[in-house]
Amino acid sequence: MYLAPDGHEVEIAEAAAAFVAQALPIARLHTPGSADLGQAARQRFAEMGWFALAVPESGGGSGLSAVEHALFFREAGRQCGPVDLLAQCLAANLTGDADIVSGARGVALLVADGEAWRLLGAADSALALLVTPDEALLYPLADATTTSRPALDPANSLAVVSALPDPVERLAGDHIWQLGELGTAAMLLGVAEAALDLIVDYAKIRETFGRKIGSWQAVRHPCADVAVRIEAARAQLWYAAAATKEGRADAATHLDVAKHLANSAALAATDTTIQLHGGIGVTEEHDAHLLLKHALVLSRLFGAKRALLGRVLHAGLED
Amino acid sequence: MDLHYTEADRDFRARAREWLKANVPQTRRPAHGQAGAQFDRDWQRKLHDHGWAGVAWPQEYGGLGLSGLRQVIWYEELARAHAPHHINTTYVALMHAGPTLIARGTPEQKAFHLPRILSGESLWCQGFSEPNAGSDLASIKTRGRIEGDHIVVNGAKMWTTDAQYGDYQELLIRTDPASERHKGLTWVICDMKTPGIDIKPIRTMLQDDHVSMVFYDEVRIPLANVVGEVGKGWSTALATLSFERGLGFIGDQLELYERVNRAIDLAGKTRLEDGRLAIGDDGIAQRLAAIKADCIAIRAMTLADIAETDRTGEPGPKGSMMKLMVTTTHKALSEVVGEILGWSFLEFDGDRIAYPWTYDYLWSWVFSISGGTNEIQREITADRVLGLPKAR
Repeated sequence: MYLAPDGHEVEIAEAAAAFVAQALPIARLHTPGSADLGQAARQRFAEMGWFALAVPESGGGSGLSAVEHALFFREAGRQCGPVDLLAQCLAANLTGDADIVSGARGVALLVADGEAWRLLGAADSALALLVTPDEALLYPLADATTTSRPALDPANSLAVVSALPDPVERLAGDHIWQLGELGTAAMLLGVAEAALDLIVDYAKIRETFGRKIGSWQAVRHPCADVAVRIEAARAQLWYAAAATKEGRADAATHLDVAKHLANSAALAATDTTIQLHGGIGVTEEHDAHLLLKHALVLSRLFGAKRALLGRVLHAGLED
Repeated sequence: MDLHYTEADRDFRARAREWLKANVPQTRRPAHGQAGAQFDRDWQRKLHDHGWAGVAWPQEYGGLGLSGLRQVIWYEELARAHAPHHINTTYVALMHAGPTLIARGTPEQKAFHLPRILSGESLWCQGFSEPNAGSDLASIKTRGRIEGDHIVVNGAKMWTTDAQYGDYQELLIRTDPASERHKGLTWVICDMKTPGIDIKPIRTMLQDDHVSMVFYDEVRIPLANVVGEVGKGWSTALATLSFERGLGFIGDQLELYERVNRAIDLAGKTRLEDGRLAIGDDGIAQRLAAIKADCIAIRAMTLADIAETDRTGEPGPKGSMMKLMVTTTHKALSEVVGEILGWSFLEFDGDRIAYPWTYDYLWSWVFSISGGTNEIQREITADRVLGLPKAR
């Protein structure tokens, strides 16, 4: 029993942190037109094998587990990594297709929205992935009817898809859903941690009334409350990742709980960081709003509050 | 990262579950007075006689010497079996006096007290807070004058839990009259039968008198009862508080998951004023599920913490965050049950067994104030976890 990164897991997390910070720094989002992964970055991630961490070695992947998958996406979340980074990874796990693993064909994410679908990712992506708890479907995008929409979150393009062709790939079961739920929960944890780091670092240097603002209890106590929510979300994320890796019967419930805790930790942390920064917190040049807007997107993917809590209410757990 | 239990862990859980199923008392604990304390002593005696006392205490002091993880398993099984609540009159003895003596006591103190604590023969109470020293504990004023081989104590302590039933007290006093703050304090074992001690129970909003003021008038305590060194009591007190803030609430942490499931069952059979089942109300159902999710995460936090402590041998700085998480979740659960129960939530006679939800609701303030208020826990988190500039 151990619920924190350990041994080679620490090395993978450190490598992921360094790579994502260099390849996709959050600062990119202050430049217009920086949404989505894009061809160049996609190929850099592919060359390092990040899309295929959890793909079996026989399928050209690294043969690692849900734990390493979570560690990678936590670091991606810290830099507001785009949603198609996750879509590409999930499609690699779904198909093992060499063109997807290598990044040659890009994959966007589809989400049902009433009678239509929402598309997150570049409209010129080759493929779009739709995942439910019961199945994963991969569609060719060339023949789909899409309408671009302005996106609140600069990390992802947003479009409405009104008609879809037949899927080219279909897999029953919850394997891809679990990796997607775990990945988004991990990204939200990364968002929450980055948001808390921003305000804690600022509180150590910014002064009001002749004192560092981090010495005022009006700042210290909300930061402590966010730290508690993050600590709970992190412990549950590790529990869910290990439960998924070990194929436990209650893994789905632990993932739902982890996603719910990560949703609320990220929304609380981004709210708090903007408020406690004061005026600078609402400016475009600051990173705080980027984290908030990304959290709003991620919190709607792979389980929003109502659906998650509906499942958790009567779920049972193993020892 | 793994969730593996060893064969021995699983065997321990199975044996604990089986024994508790057959041995948890079927009679109701008397709500108040010596009868309640006697019930607690009897239950501890039974645990002791059947080899279940002091799960994580070292074997050389009569414990089972098992890992933190086994302790988690034990508390989970206690909660599952609806065993007597672990916060009772044996709590101070088992959860902080005993561990403090193990860490800092003399061989004679250990030999005398530890077996009596484990067997339920000795109950303990705490004497740290004072009328003018609560959150700011270092400002205590109760004096101890050294005369020959005794310390003579004068002053007053506040919020002493179960003082009426305690055989001994963890007493923190100022032995150097010229000292200030953390210096010049001494941690001493006070026999509550010593002449000069006067206990004045304080009636609380829970309709009980579980806390008291304790007055000391020329109370003579042998110097041999000093734990640690004379004048170095702050260090011993910090050890005591680390036990309270570290594992002291482990039972509550793990019991919350059982309690939220009981609340969900309750909502499934209780009708609201408009005749609908409470669980059919979206607001109530969603709040219960969110609290259940928090309870599941609290269990993950507990296991993460315990596994880290088992590996490093020392509790980390996360006890304060745990207490914040547990106390706020406890309160949220009590509040939603209050809505589910409607008017019957307002029936109460002070009996924690007969009216558990109302009792727990009222107790939620005791929980978030005692053992370091939530405001103090936020300060500790800001200092030690976040490294923010000091407020004081």
